[in-house]
Amino acid sequence: MNSEGAEDLTAGQFASAMVGVYDRSGKKLEQPQWVIRERPVTLYLNGKEVVTLLCAGHHLDELAVGFLYAEGFLRFPEDILDIEIDDEAGTVKLSAGHDDPIAERLWQKRTISSGCAKGSLFYFSLDALMGKRVKSDVRIAPARILDRLDDLNRLSETYRRTHGVHNTALADSDRIILFRDDIGRHNAVDMIVGHVFLHGIPLADKMLITTGRLTSELLIKAAKVNLPILVSRNTATSLSVELAVSLGVTLIGFARAGKFTVYSGQERIDVGLPG
Amino acid sequence: MSVYLDNAATSFPKPKTVIEAAGRVLEEVGASPGRGSHKHAVEAMAVVSDCRQKAAVILGVKDPERVVFTKNATESINIVLKGWLRPGDRVIYSAMEHNSVARPLMKLASQGVGIEMIPCSSTGVLDLGALDRLLRAKARLVILVHVSNVNGAMMPLQEVADACVRAKVPLFLDAAQSAGLQPIQADELGIGMLACSGHKALLGPAGVGILYVRTDLDVLPLIEGGTGSRSEELEQPEFSPDRYESGTPNLPGLAGLREGIGYILDNGMNRILNHEIGLAHYLENELWQIPGVRVFEPETRGSGSVSFVVEGMNPADTGSILDQAFDIAVRTGLHCAPLAHRTLGTFPDGTVRVSPGFSTNIDNIEYFLNGLRWIVTKRG
Repeated sequence: MNSEGAEDLTAGQFASAMVGVYDRSGKKLEQPQWVIRERPVTLYLNGKEVVTLLCAGHHLDELAVGFLYAEGFLRFPEDILDIEIDDEAGTVKLSAGHDDPIAERLWQKRTISSGCAKGSLFYFSLDALMGKRVKSDVRIAPARILDRLDDLNRLSETYRRTHGVHNTALADSDRIILFRDDIGRHNAVDMIVGHVFLHGIPLADKMLITTGRLTSELLIKAAKVNLPILVSRNTATSLSVELAVSLGVTLIGFARAGKFTVYSGQERIDVGLPG
Repeated sequence: MSVYLDNAATSFPKPKTVIEAAGRVLEEVGASPGRGSHKHAVEAMAVVSDCRQKAAVILGVKDPERVVFTKNATESINIVLKGWLRPGDRVIYSAMEHNSVARPLMKLASQGVGIEMIPCSSTGVLDLGALDRLLRAKARLVILVHVSNVNGAMMPLQEVADACVRAKVPLFLDAAQSAGLQPIQADELGIGMLACSGHKALLGPAGVGILYVRTDLDVLPLIEGGTGSRSEELEQPEFSPDRYESGTPNLPGLAGLREGIGYILDNGMNRILNHEIGLAHYLENELWQIPGVRVFEPETRGSGSVSFVVEGMNPADTGSILDQAFDIAVRTGLHCAPLAHRTLGTFPDGTVRVSPGFSTNIDNIEYFLNGLRWIVTKRG
């Protein structure tokens, strides 16, 4: 497969632990078992602590950049001066040329509605600021969506060993372009956002496939980066469906066993295209 | 910097004299006006009478006794609509009305009052031809908002008043946004009834509204009770203002309102109007130059209220970010005027409304514009 998924992403991601496995009768089996690695990583922007994320601990540059971009702290890749990763200490220190103190004021602030109109669908002000309606004319055949989901399922060695990660992939109709996994589904998405941001990859013709639930946070992230199609083998939430309609995202859930459910944006599903 | 740009909702800050006057009557007077003959009550009554006289001056009403104090413009409007209209009556109203008119009208419509709307253009211009046509049939009342609280659009008051005089239909003017800014000559125009608030452009504290009812119009009161007059009678007095002023008046509010109107008379209403409209025009010109910003400019401006949207962004979000990131207070949404927003084509999300006041300066407007430019740039 022509994708980064082919590289060995599993190195250091899991450890082996001796565990006791019990059955109903009380019979116990001592055996080694793989467990996913989990560690705190603290992100700093221009010397200021922003957040501590619990993650699997790999692709920390992408994770940091993706997180900071999606939260409005970064605007252009060229603003990034330096990324210093201290694996031992669990820190990522990012220096940026255009620090935006105004964006910092909005960090984690709730949007406020007066009740004098429909009000905001967004709950965080930075999301309301950055979340825009997706612009994309992409069309995709149903079979291609299911094919890429099958590709994703084949990719995660870590998942097969530990069942402890969410898998996420960026794909077009022909192939998976980028694969990331992490203990947190948002982390895996942030890594992809970070990679795309750093490498200037346009997203208007791509889809994001995840094993996690399709929640509002994921929807907002997609809208921020102009990603038109979200696919999951899992379900969508009510707010994610509302946001998908409002932000023009094609939202696909329950993609498994040869079919899928489209919650919004059916115009991008083209049954006339070759599968 | 903290910038308040929501003067169309209520003016802030108030002139210092307003705050001092309200405080002074609480500290030094403290009596119920018109109730009792002791010095405190007499002084309280003098405050109210003086406020009534000033209000009559600013509204162009010769007889101050026709000026009634209520708790707000909404109460004044309810008194007129519910005290004047009966099932079977026909009432004409404009497509720019506030909910303070629309909601009581809807209730009255459910009780058999016929309601018909004068359409307005998408910039809020009243269709005078339609009004003439509507007035060919018998009507009990015409209701007109003088200046829109959404985008500051001014209605053609003189023309509507003339049409009403010709048709012998009383005109009820909602002057909530215009009283204290626009010269109003209620007597000269032959206006039947007028309602306004005391806490907007009249610069008084919240909790005071004004109602004017022409002598020949028998508008029934909404409530009855003690008035401090003709107490030997169990029937409500029929003379104004007592007919409509049951219960203890809001003395601190009226003391403040007296000073608010005094401030306008001392400084010149026209000067304040020109200042606010000048800021609005400057603001509109600058807003048009920001990419992705759409301004809902009126053809005739009657106040400083400016409405706009950032394309693709809910107005509530724009206002929320202006508040949180820049400490700028604006009003977003439908401004309690869904009819006006339907007319302007901004329903259901509404707009962001910026309404400068007498103390707003050009630096405040620049600060706001820079905040908005940051939002638009950040959205990319």
